[in-house]
Amino acid sequence: MTSVRPSAALQPPADTRRIGRIRSETISTAAIFALTIILILASRFVSPALGSWDQVDTIITLASFLIVVAFGQGLVILVGGLDLSIASMITLGGVLATTWNGSLGSEWVVIPAVLILCAGIGALNAVGVIWLNIPPFIMTMASGIVVASAALGYTSGTPRGASPDAFLALMKGSVGPVSAVLIFVVIFVLLACALQSATAFGRRLYAVGANREAARIAGVATWRPIMAAYAISAVCAGFAGMMLVGYANGATLRMGDSYLLPSVASVVIGGSSILGGRGSFAGTVGGAILLTTLGTVISALGMDQGWRTVIEGAIIVGALLLLREDLIARLRNRSAG
Amino acid sequence: MTTFRKLLMTTCVAAGALASACMATTSSASADDAKKFKIFLSLSYSGNSWQSEAANIVKALAQTPPYDKEVELKEVISGTDPQAQIAAYESMIDAKADGVISFPISSTALNRTVKKGCEKGVLFFMYDATVTEPCAYNVSYITAGFGENTAQALVNALNGKGKIFLSRGVPGNSVDKRHTDGAMHIFKEYPGIQVVAEYYAFWDDRTTQQETAKALAAHPDVDGIWAQAGEFGAIQALRDKGTRLVPMTGENSNGFRLALADPEAQKNGLKGVSAGSPPATAGYAFKLMMEILTKKRDLKAMNIQYPLPWVPADKVTLCKGDTFEDGCNTFPDGKVPSSFVTEVFSPEFLPELSLKSALDGAPTPGKTIQPLPAEVVKAPNEPGINCQKCDPPADLYKLTKIEPTVKP
Repeated sequence: MTSVRPSAALQPPADTRRIGRIRSETISTAAIFALTIILILASRFVSPALGSWDQVDTIITLASFLIVVAFGQGLVILVGGLDLSIASMITLGGVLATTWNGSLGSEWVVIPAVLILCAGIGALNAVGVIWLNIPPFIMTMASGIVVASAALGYTSGTPRGASPDAFLALMKGSVGPVSAVLIFVVIFVLLACALQSATAFGRRLYAVGANREAARIAGVATWRPIMAAYAISAVCAGFAGMMLVGYANGATLRMGDSYLLPSVASVVIGGSSILGGRGSFAGTVGGAILLTTLGTVISALGMDQGWRTVIEGAIIVGALLLLREDLIARLRNRSAG
Repeated sequence: MTTFRKLLMTTCVAAGALASACMATTSSASADDAKKFKIFLSLSYSGNSWQSEAANIVKALAQTPPYDKEVELKEVISGTDPQAQIAAYESMIDAKADGVISFPISSTALNRTVKKGCEKGVLFFMYDATVTEPCAYNVSYITAGFGENTAQALVNALNGKGKIFLSRGVPGNSVDKRHTDGAMHIFKEYPGIQVVAEYYAFWDDRTTQQETAKALAAHPDVDGIWAQAGEFGAIQALRDKGTRLVPMTGENSNGFRLALADPEAQKNGLKGVSAGSPPATAGYAFKLMMEILTKKRDLKAMNIQYPLPWVPADKVTLCKGDTFEDGCNTFPDGKVPSSFVTEVFSPEFLPELSLKSALDGAPTPGKTIQPLPAEVVKAPNEPGINCQKCDPPADLYKLTKIEPTVKP
């Protein structure tokens, strides 16, 4: 590019949009983590036992499921879709992990088999979205219903069996003083951030999500990143289902229900655009941890359930408003000017 | 030859026709006798152990002789919206159902449709949850005092003082409210009892575990837990935090009963009682309905009370076989999932059933339907639960299973 620049005088102003965006994304991610830490510290006023390392440990454990699910959801949203099948995929992962465990061979056969099946179902979602032009909302809702019903039929209502040992170790074990799930979350987040932000695959996801047509013209085989996003989302949900099974040592048929909307909320609170093309996984992790912290603190308030939910909703809206990029940009401009 | 053959054939055909004509009259008469009752099993939702066990029991009974020849059972699952169940009832009435056995999702929303069905001669039997429409039969343990009895058991175990959690069911649900009102009636008598956290856990093990974990983060010094269904999750949440357990009361999951009887868990502080909602109610209601349909029983629509299961730690007995025999009430570890609700059997009401019935809806080979005891227990009135404009008895929260051992 520099070689064809006609002269220094005609040089256009440097394109700083991307830098600006990165900085505001970093700021909003930092803000959301700051908000979480403030919330944890402030929760001491609610109960003196809160704000301790123990509470952080509880929060990370409870948030770990949401973090894994929200990574997949975030990728699908990034490419301009929405995955409503994750609740069923969580259930499927959990149910198959317990019923196949022992009956189908070693857990090192069962776990990959379940994840491959999940990936297949995710890919089917993508087929419907890409080639049959079914809106993602409808496609994933339908496949979710099918999967949930299949799980109901397969178990005749009562999922049996126990968790694979690997997931018991993951959810209950510890390495020295640190719980295993905390280590897992750190590694998962680092790998996922790297995949989304530092690889060619990640770049293609952003390109496809920002403008599918432009990405196609630029030579991206657009179906590949889209299909990969749906498949990864299904795999993440199935994996989270197995984590839940390890946590509770058993599966139930409605175990995924409480993660669908929070997974979308984490992504949006984390600063991603619900329309796709924009966002970072670090923000999503912040969103997931913020939501879980909020749940923990609020449940310690001695209030009626109704008011607790009102407060939870109000804080989420407040956080979204506070973290809006344009607001941050305006504030920065003002402080700069 | 050919003529002979023809003749023979004609005779045969004539004889055959005559015979079949005779058969036809007899068989049409017996077909009338053996006309199958068209019965619908209407679930609001499925997917937790309790709901599927209750449905499986009904399915197993419908395949047990002689019901296998008398009943045509269809299952309809309509989801958690009252509207969907109303629509399901409507189509059952249109299909000329003889009876509907159902877990109703709302105690009031279904009333109009139920009334319409009653007028067309459909028998409505509600199990576990209830409706306030007087033409329906409600068969339930709800009025048997789960809340107040378990609360008193917890107060006794805590010597009348301590910080407790309330692990509740589904917000806004009449059953959850009845249980909690009964429990609070007792807890309020004891100023030493302090409810430090109250959360809705939707009668689900996993939600209970997570909600209890959250409450424990704020109140690690909790002294006791009063729980509705999902109680095994509360034990898991305590175990996640270390070895310390606390006195707690809960419903009938196999995991909870095993823990209650486990000497190790007792040493770590667990004591309490397992009581609450028995899926066996569905089977009892179905057999009552069948006895009415087959004219073996004459019973007007009424509220019938199913006995409250009550199993303190020292009464937990492991079953050797596949059903409740010799007074056993819990299955060994590994035989059923920990969330399995054990109260699927009743030697008195449902001797036809075994574990396979509850898990897969299959009949027990060699068993036939046994008649129910003649007496039914009338349930007390509870406004909003089993009647509309009615007064509750003065002794609504009277203790029936346990005596207070501590003075308020």
